[in-house]
Amino acid sequence: MAERSEDVTARRTGGPAGGTHLLGLLYPPAGRQRTYTTMQLAFVGGVAETAAVHGYDLLLSPAGSCTDPSFRRMVGGRLVDGVIVMEIRREDDRVGYLADCGFPFVAIGRNHGTDAAGWVDLDFAGLAGGCVQHLADLGHSRIAFVNRSEELFDSGYGFARLGDEGYTEAMKRLLLTPRAYLCGDDLASGEEVVERILRDDPATTSLVTQNEAALEGIYRGLTRHGRSVPRDFSVVGVAASPWAEQVTPPLTAAEIPAKEMSRVAVELMVRRLTTPEERPRHVLLKPLITLRASTGRCRPVPGSEPEPEFPDFDLDF
Amino acid sequence: MATYAQGSGHSGWSTDVATVTLGPDGIVTGWSAGARRLLGHRAPEVVGRAAAGLLLGREAPEASGLALLGSEEWSGTAALRHRDGHRVDVTLHAHPSLDRDGRPQGFVVTVAASSAASDRDRRMVEWAFDQASVGLSAHSTASGSWHLNAAAAEEDAAGAEGDDGEEGFLRCVRRVAEEGRPTRYERVVPEPASAPVRHRAWVIELWPVRDPATGEVVGVGTAAFDSSEQHSARERLALLQEAGACVGTTLNVTRTAQELADLAVPRLADFVSVDLLDSVLRGEEPVPGPVDAAVALRRVAHQSAAEGTGVPEAAIDLGGVDTYPPFAPPARALAGGRPVLTGAGDPDFARWIAGHEERTARNEEYGFHSVMATPLRARGITLGVAVFARIGDSPPFEPDDLILAEELAGRTAVGVDNARRYTRERTNALTLQRSLLPRDLPRQAAVEVAYRYLPAGSGAGVGGDWFDVVPLSGTRVGLVVGDVVGHGIHASATMGRLRTAVRTLADVDLPPDELLTHLDDLVVHLSSDKEDITEDEPYFLSGEIGATCLYAVYDPVSRVCTVASAGHIPPAVLFPDGTVELVRLTPGPLLGVGGLPFETTELELPEGSLLAFCTDGLIEARDRDVGLGLDRLCEALSRPVPSLDVTCDAILKALLPDSPADDVALLLVRTRALHADQVAAWSLPSDPSVVADARAQVSRQLAVWGLEEAAFVTELVVSELVTNAIRYGAVPIGLRLIRDRTLICEVSDASNTAPHLRRARTYDEGGRGLHMVAQLTQGWGTRQSPLGKTIWAEQPLPAG
Repeated sequence: MAERSEDVTARRTGGPAGGTHLLGLLYPPAGRQRTYTTMQLAFVGGVAETAAVHGYDLLLSPAGSCTDPSFRRMVGGRLVDGVIVMEIRREDDRVGYLADCGFPFVAIGRNHGTDAAGWVDLDFAGLAGGCVQHLADLGHSRIAFVNRSEELFDSGYGFARLGDEGYTEAMKRLLLTPRAYLCGDDLASGEEVVERILRDDPATTSLVTQNEAALEGIYRGLTRHGRSVPRDFSVVGVAASPWAEQVTPPLTAAEIPAKEMSRVAVELMVRRLTTPEERPRHVLLKPLITLRASTGRCRPVPGSEPEPEFPDFDLDF
Repeated sequence: MATYAQGSGHSGWSTDVATVTLGPDGIVTGWSAGARRLLGHRAPEVVGRAAAGLLLGREAPEASGLALLGSEEWSGTAALRHRDGHRVDVTLHAHPSLDRDGRPQGFVVTVAASSAASDRDRRMVEWAFDQASVGLSAHSTASGSWHLNAAAAEEDAAGAEGDDGEEGFLRCVRRVAEEGRPTRYERVVPEPASAPVRHRAWVIELWPVRDPATGEVVGVGTAAFDSSEQHSARERLALLQEAGACVGTTLNVTRTAQELADLAVPRLADFVSVDLLDSVLRGEEPVPGPVDAAVALRRVAHQSAAEGTGVPEAAIDLGGVDTYPPFAPPARALAGGRPVLTGAGDPDFARWIAGHEERTARNEEYGFHSVMATPLRARGITLGVAVFARIGDSPPFEPDDLILAEELAGRTAVGVDNARRYTRERTNALTLQRSLLPRDLPRQAAVEVAYRYLPAGSGAGVGGDWFDVVPLSGTRVGLVVGDVVGHGIHASATMGRLRTAVRTLADVDLPPDELLTHLDDLVVHLSSDKEDITEDEPYFLSGEIGATCLYAVYDPVSRVCTVASAGHIPPAVLFPDGTVELVRLTPGPLLGVGGLPFETTELELPEGSLLAFCTDGLIEARDRDVGLGLDRLCEALSRPVPSLDVTCDAILKALLPDSPADDVALLLVRTRALHADQVAAWSLPSDPSVVADARAQVSRQLAVWGLEEAAFVTELVVSELVTNAIRYGAVPIGLRLIRDRTLICEVSDASNTAPHLRRARTYDEGGRGLHMVAQLTQGWGTRQSPLGKTIWAEQPLPAG
């Protein structure tokens, strides 16, 4: 559960004494051709909004590494009072640099280096596990997992790894066979991953995805295979709401609460600046799976399971 | 004119009798002194001559030729010539004197003549004719001339009648002359205004006048009798008889009063007004006995003999109220309970007229000179007063008219009282039924509704149709339409029971098929419970109750409408794209059959679909069957109209017969849908640690909705319900928030075991958490579904 910041309104008017009244946001664009995705823009907006409430303005830097000149200018030149770091990789030199020089920062996302500072993150492992559990509650046992792209996975993006771990762990706990797939962040890859899943196990009745960009492709692939969602195939995901609601049928998914996360991040940042002596706080959010229309009770794929046989009654009277 | 009664030997007026003897050849053989006195001839002048020479002209005495040859006595009349030459009418009596052989030797003839006295007598007869008190006349067919006596002449002059009457009379005279049979002719002549009676009626007896000698009809005699009295008596009787047929044809108070006014004008009066006590018009029971003076009365009907459509004489408009002072004739009639005859000479009448400006003006213009006021009394209670008036030149009322008016008023009063009682009973029955039907349907968000209920026409009485809209948990709504077979209070009362039962069962949140099963059980039970019905009851129907019902539950979140029918007409749906179809559902058995299953049908309806539920009164009619009616319903439904209410009216207009024999209920429902901005649903793992996540999630959702104020209570409710579900329930567990008119929090799980306590009591060991939920929210409950149960709690939205 998110720890509640103390009374926000008290700080609204004054802000911290001294300082630049600027916060930095380190946020490398993630989309193709290095553009900000809708999701990222939602975070930027959320951070800027809450910062303004607390009397801060925002300086946005696309720096993905501490060697980035933008990063150097912002931190080295003390242009800002503190920075919020996003898109945390498992090994992230920005976090190391900031921690080393004692620059106040808060991470959205986490790795082993962020514990010294405050962070807010989603429980991706828990979410993936929750998705598995939801499908299992509906009677599904053949559950595939569609992760992000191989390069993201390999580059050590936290949630890709965490999601995979959460999925695998939940499957094992349920004594089911995990089958995780990496999938490119585009439509064609979505179609292609369905091919692979159904080729590997035609009796698959459901999948968990945290690749929202491939979602449309996944739906198409299922349709091509004559699998109707949710009647004979259930899809559940971890996704931001625009994707989840824009597909047909709307995706049952754990939503990424961008606004909430950015709000918490700013509040942690403000707290760090006003009471630096306090131990840094860590907030792990675990959104529930919002029920929409893409999951249903398991109906076994015809022919994939032995038909229940009626016993022959041999009546010998 | 004179006759000689054969055998009697006497004549009515003869005094002189002479004797003459004749030979067998008709030669006079003897001449008496009496004969000389009678005819002036002396014996020598006559004896030896033929007797025939004495006859006036060549007229033979009646049958004389025959007589003189015969040997029998003979009598007859003859006209003889006096020696002076004037005519002498005589009666002859011949006595033959016979010889040995029996042959007449001669005749002794007595001659009796009318004297001067008998002439006087004859004139006297003429005088009697002339001076008769009844109008007599004689018409000669030969000359075509009329002889009228004085009375007839006077009547003829007075009765300056139209040609029609004269023509008819003459035709009648001709017929009598031709057919030779007496007859009777009646004629009614309107009297001039100054006459004491309004009409003079005559009964005229006509008879043929024959020549006694030849039997030929030579004329027609008439005698006219004044039958004006009988005529007006007959008129009164006819009026009364007509009153029996024409007054009280309907069970409508005002109409009955108007019928009296229409009947009495112009035959009895020139102007009639009927005023009733206000309480009568309201259908209330008036005080028994006469009414106190100075009572306020409402003008219900009036009629005037004046030409045109208006009633110019009326001082009070229809529907107007007037208070009669105690001395006014109508007030006196009311107070005394007896009719009052009054008129211009009565000081009270003058005072009454003078006391009212409008009345004074009307009186000056029209001149009310004779007025009867009769109370309208029936079964010992006074209902009002009828006033009859003659104006202008009309003759005043007579005592007989007063009796007639009283009789008419009595008949009208019975009709009015019947109408009043009927109105009251019907109003009561309708009030009962209305009170059993929903007046204002509860506000709910799931659907927009419009409805109509029309009772059947006056003949059939109240009916047993009903409809209902029942808000259910989770913003769902139950839609009910039903029909108890039959009419009358009994059907209405049964309808009331069933409606209450449906509401109760709906409140338990039973699915439609189960609800109908329970309702069916109830009807079976009611049917077997005959103790409350006796055969003496007017609405005895036998213990069997036949009823149909359709129950549908619409869920605006899933947009699914679940319908089950117990023999009821299926609803029609108008989809947003303009297509209309009947919902195909299993009709199911009628309620009360028992034992047969009801089936549910699920429809997914696009937002804005229009469902039309109705009863068979709308669909069935004498001239068409159910199929055609349903087709027409679909057709009427598909026409574009701006609002539900307008659609209701359009459907009724298109389908309703002119006088519906059955009552009609129509319920139109436009579905709404709740969207993602009003509904949020989550799946929960069965893990106690998820409770905190659920609280956080709910809190986030409320922040998105701007309902942070509700967060505290909602989080408490959520953690309580989710904890219960995880602890006692079965997966999958779902959590749902609905933001509608209220904030609804629902937790569902796959277990069918519901918390037993509908309301936690103070010392219950369990249900503590639910008790808290109950305290914090405005309502909570559970409902079963095919996949488990749902527990819901509802709290008001924060203000603003």
